[in-house]
Amino acid sequence: MEFSEHIKTANVEDVVLRQPLHPPSRGTLCITGHHLLFSDREETGTRQFLLLLKNIDAIEKRMSGSSGTITIKCKDLRVLQLDIPGMEQCLNIAHSIETLSCLDCASEMYPFFHRPSDLSLQDQWGLSSTEKLYSQMKELHDRWRVSTVNRDYSVCPSYPPAVIVPKNIDDSMLKKVAKFRQGGRFPVLCYYHRKNGMVIMRSSQPLPGANRKRCKEDEDLLQAVLDGSDKGYIIDTRSSQQATQARMTGGGFESKSSYSCWKRLHRQMEKGKALQESLIKLVEACGDESNNMDRWLSKLENSKWLFYVQTALSTAGLLAECVERDGHSVLVHGSEGKDSTLLISTLAQLIMDPHCRSLEGFLALLEREWVQAGHPFMQRCAHSAFSHARLQQESPVFLLLLDCVWQLWRQFPLALGFSEALLLRLATEAYASDFGTFLCNSHQERWALGVMERTHCLFKALLRPRERDYYSNPLYEPTELAIWPSVHPQSLQLWRGFFLRWTQQSRHLEEAQEEIRNMVIEWGKLALS
Amino acid sequence: MEKHAGAPGGSDGAGPNRKLWGSPTSGAAAGETPESPSGSHVEWCKQLIAATISSQISVTPEHSTELRGKCSRTRFLSCQERASRPQVSQCHLFDTPPPPIPHVRMMMMRSSSFAVKDVMYICPFSGLVNGTLTITNYKLYFSGTDREFVLDVNLGVISRQETISVPNQGENTKGLELVCKDMRSPRFAYKTEEDHPDVVELISKHAFPLSHNLPLFAFLYKELFPVDGWKVYDPAAEYRRQLTISKVNSSYELCDTYPATLVIPTNISDDDIRRVAAFRVKHRIPVLSWIHPETQATIVRCSQPLVGPSDRRCKEDERFLQIIMDANAQSHKLSIFDARQGSVALTNKAKDGGFESESFYTNVELNFLEIPNIHVIRESLRKVKDAVYPTIDEAHWHSNIHQTHWLEYIRLLLAGAAKVADKLESGKTSVVVHCSDGWDRTAQLTSLSMLMLDSFYRTLPGFQVLLEKEWISFGHKFSRVGHGDENHANSERSPLFVQFIDCVWQMTRQFPAAFEFNELFLITVLDHLYSCLFGTFLYNSEQERAAKEVQTCTVSLWSYINSQKDDFTNPFYVDYQNHVLYPMVSSRHLELWSSYYARWNPRMRPQVGPPHELQRRVEELQREASSSHSLSSSSSHSPTHTTGHLCTPLSDTHTHTHTHTHTHSLTHTQSLIIDCVYDI
Repeated sequence: MEFSEHIKTANVEDVVLRQPLHPPSRGTLCITGHHLLFSDREETGTRQFLLLLKNIDAIEKRMSGSSGTITIKCKDLRVLQLDIPGMEQCLNIAHSIETLSCLDCASEMYPFFHRPSDLSLQDQWGLSSTEKLYSQMKELHDRWRVSTVNRDYSVCPSYPPAVIVPKNIDDSMLKKVAKFRQGGRFPVLCYYHRKNGMVIMRSSQPLPGANRKRCKEDEDLLQAVLDGSDKGYIIDTRSSQQATQARMTGGGFESKSSYSCWKRLHRQMEKGKALQESLIKLVEACGDESNNMDRWLSKLENSKWLFYVQTALSTAGLLAECVERDGHSVLVHGSEGKDSTLLISTLAQLIMDPHCRSLEGFLALLEREWVQAGHPFMQRCAHSAFSHARLQQESPVFLLLLDCVWQLWRQFPLALGFSEALLLRLATEAYASDFGTFLCNSHQERWALGVMERTHCLFKALLRPRERDYYSNPLYEPTELAIWPSVHPQSLQLWRGFFLRWTQQSRHLEEAQEEIRNMVIEWGKLALS
Repeated sequence: MEKHAGAPGGSDGAGPNRKLWGSPTSGAAAGETPESPSGSHVEWCKQLIAATISSQISVTPEHSTELRGKCSRTRFLSCQERASRPQVSQCHLFDTPPPPIPHVRMMMMRSSSFAVKDVMYICPFSGLVNGTLTITNYKLYFSGTDREFVLDVNLGVISRQETISVPNQGENTKGLELVCKDMRSPRFAYKTEEDHPDVVELISKHAFPLSHNLPLFAFLYKELFPVDGWKVYDPAAEYRRQLTISKVNSSYELCDTYPATLVIPTNISDDDIRRVAAFRVKHRIPVLSWIHPETQATIVRCSQPLVGPSDRRCKEDERFLQIIMDANAQSHKLSIFDARQGSVALTNKAKDGGFESESFYTNVELNFLEIPNIHVIRESLRKVKDAVYPTIDEAHWHSNIHQTHWLEYIRLLLAGAAKVADKLESGKTSVVVHCSDGWDRTAQLTSLSMLMLDSFYRTLPGFQVLLEKEWISFGHKFSRVGHGDENHANSERSPLFVQFIDCVWQMTRQFPAAFEFNELFLITVLDHLYSCLFGTFLYNSEQERAAKEVQTCTVSLWSYINSQKDDFTNPFYVDYQNHVLYPMVSSRHLELWSSYYARWNPRMRPQVGPPHELQRRVEELQREASSSHSLSSSSSHSPTHTTGHLCTPLSDTHTHTHTHTHTHSLTHTQSLIIDCVYDI
């Protein structure tokens, strides 16, 4: 295999590994095509430490005399240190890590080699599909249909083959609408509110451009969504100024004159570079060991991360409010419709829909709204907070989502069926994974590489009995009510579980969780017996 | 206006401003106090009134209650027992502060109460509310007439009254602001009419009874509880866990701010002790607070030595500390932790105080913990109030908190206590802690380090013992929170007990399973620090409390707490016996205790919910298990939890009210909506 050409030194003895929250240990280091493996031999037996090279965000090497130290900064924010005897060995190891951790050919990544014994490649991949969802929701059948206009990905490369659209809009019209929307992302249904029949649609921005082109099919499609109701809302995740400026580059917004029944609301949400820089600042502040309170609070504020959390939650709240309380359908988009759009449609569904709040429901929601809807995971999660590489498409939108969900979880500890551990696991998996779920940028790319045939699905794995136990919230008590989060700064907190995961002794918190779990299991047994 | 100076509660007579004549509530007085932020408040008030009148905001009822209209001489129900909240209608702010404190369930008012009609409550969150203001000798109670609205303020919590101007409301309308000790300042506007009783005077009389020669309410309150809280702390029993007891202060002759029961080294004569006492401020000699069960290292507390500018020495004091050092065979050193800033300690020398010189006291190491004094802390807490009440500046939340320095002082205190605990635990060295008088920062440090070292103090009864011992018996001047005293500008007003409870809360957050009590317990303790309902925190020393017969004439807070322990118990408690807990004191791990300081902000409400919700859920599960299987000798099933209370079935009646209450708080939380919340 061609990985071997990057590995000049595969094994080094007598290496010291220092990792957070553990005493240093001495043992053997081994580099493989996908992993860094460390095993120490203590009297108590051998312990192994395994790290996916993909998880490594940046490394620093420091030589002193005949030995060297490699500091490894991981995408899950862990910082490790390896003391390696022998200058040449150290340089070789560092070189291998640098090269192998940056390989970006998806088809050579570890998920294609990972073969856990209790999962089979013959199993159906994923939790659900558009067709299945549609067939389960009889309420949809009157007015909505499944279109396979995109079965060969030619209409919209970032959409899945099947999408749900208004019944009286045929495929030829969809093709025209797709030409009028950036990247072909025409408006599709993403949520149907059973209580009042209102829907959330999502798309990318329309393309009226500087000379204000119109597209009759696009207007018809949105009119069909309204189905006689007097108005709908468009939530644009850009400021109105940004939306106007977008016209200069061919984009734009739905004008009042052409879409008279739709009322636009602009809520500026940061994404892309600004968000990535916010993460970098926040992580830097969290890693600052000084005890100075003043600096900490001003750094926290300057990073703006909590402000972005607040904006996301309040925009999602606004969206849910339009649907649940105002009783109107909503179309959400920004420019591309692959980032903020998904963020707020996902959060709004969690706020309104009890089905999304169970463990399965939440995973299915992520599958639908992020994986299938074409969030470009590979580009967005190529690097995390430590990398010195020039930023390109990186942006922690998915991490921001998980943080927002954590805020919900903290404010409504009984209403969500999953635990904080699940959110932490997902935050790690999005950046480096044994599974194929977060590989590639779109359904099309995954299809081309055979991800669905040749890798295992993370969501399926998380629902195996042992994992399901571990990732469930033992105190879960489903409620039909909407869970309206408080979005005021005094109500939002830093997600310590993630950002301070490797600096704080989480033992006591974990013990408390463990205690709850045990108590609930015991009570369950008692109640049954 | 007739006002009499109150009979001063303190026997030390040290309070310089205790006797204040004249009315604190007259218009002129409002602007005079140094603490008065009246200018901006008045401006704010004007704007608010103008805005609300013009826009006719209708306000959603926040909660209904059985207490409406006139209520005099009645049985007050606790806030929690209110009826369910009506459906939230469209689009409006909700109002009054949340009621997270379970007040005493029944409150029999002994004297008649006065109801004043046509009063307007100027709600900072939702505008004007018309209603009736009822004033009893324990609380002030406002209920809306047009909409269901209740505001409940215990009179003990009032720090001062201020007159505010209320424009556009007619000539005979007066405005009143009640500046409270618990981070809120409700405002009212009322009509002055001939036949109306004077509201200001009425409130003043009952809020500051001592200033009017009236008894504190605790002496009128006679509710019987199944448990007698005065028995929670028995010094002899507590020290029996520890050492031998000295009778030298049995009738307070040695030191009037110390308890009768003291533990001091045995091999020192009473004469020598008297000489040591003469060398320490207020005669507060070094006495035992805690002894390590294994190493015998001790925590000893005292006041500063009277070294003075001429570097006076006292052989007996030096020998005394030597004996304390020698009592611990594990170490040949003694550590003195002086809580003060080094520079301040030096200044104190000029005023006849000072600190132990390392050259006179052999093998002693002296550390300054650099903690600022009560004036700095008081100012910091005042800034916290400005940041959280009445409105929160969302754009600058963190920088406003940072400007209060409150968390920085919390950090200093926790770090200091951790140093003390670590010296004892890892260094196996005995420590002496003092500040100037040895009743403020000293009590904070000894009790926090004891909380870290000894798991007993982390239980519900143990924490009560800790407070009774380190704070109440050793003469922390509780009257300085201003019990029944109108002299709000007293420069001795001290928030150090609040700061201490905040530190405890920070620890409970970091070790969620290590404390048997919950957040509600801590908030309740703080609420009754001010309420004057119970005798527990009244007066400054054991001697004074004995003279006032506090134990026979008032009820103990612990009687109330221990009669309904379930409300105050942490369902996730695991007894970490013999675990020493060092809290993380880095700034990243501390945070503002919003659910206490910002609890009056209606937008905090979802945050107030979860702990209670969690507790309810856990209790429900316990109940399910115990009721479905009360026969199956349940305790043996669960090896993981060592705590007996988890299996205790709740009494029927209690269970009932409990479930009831919490179901409402659930719907509350979850259907809680403010439309404009999301419209930023």
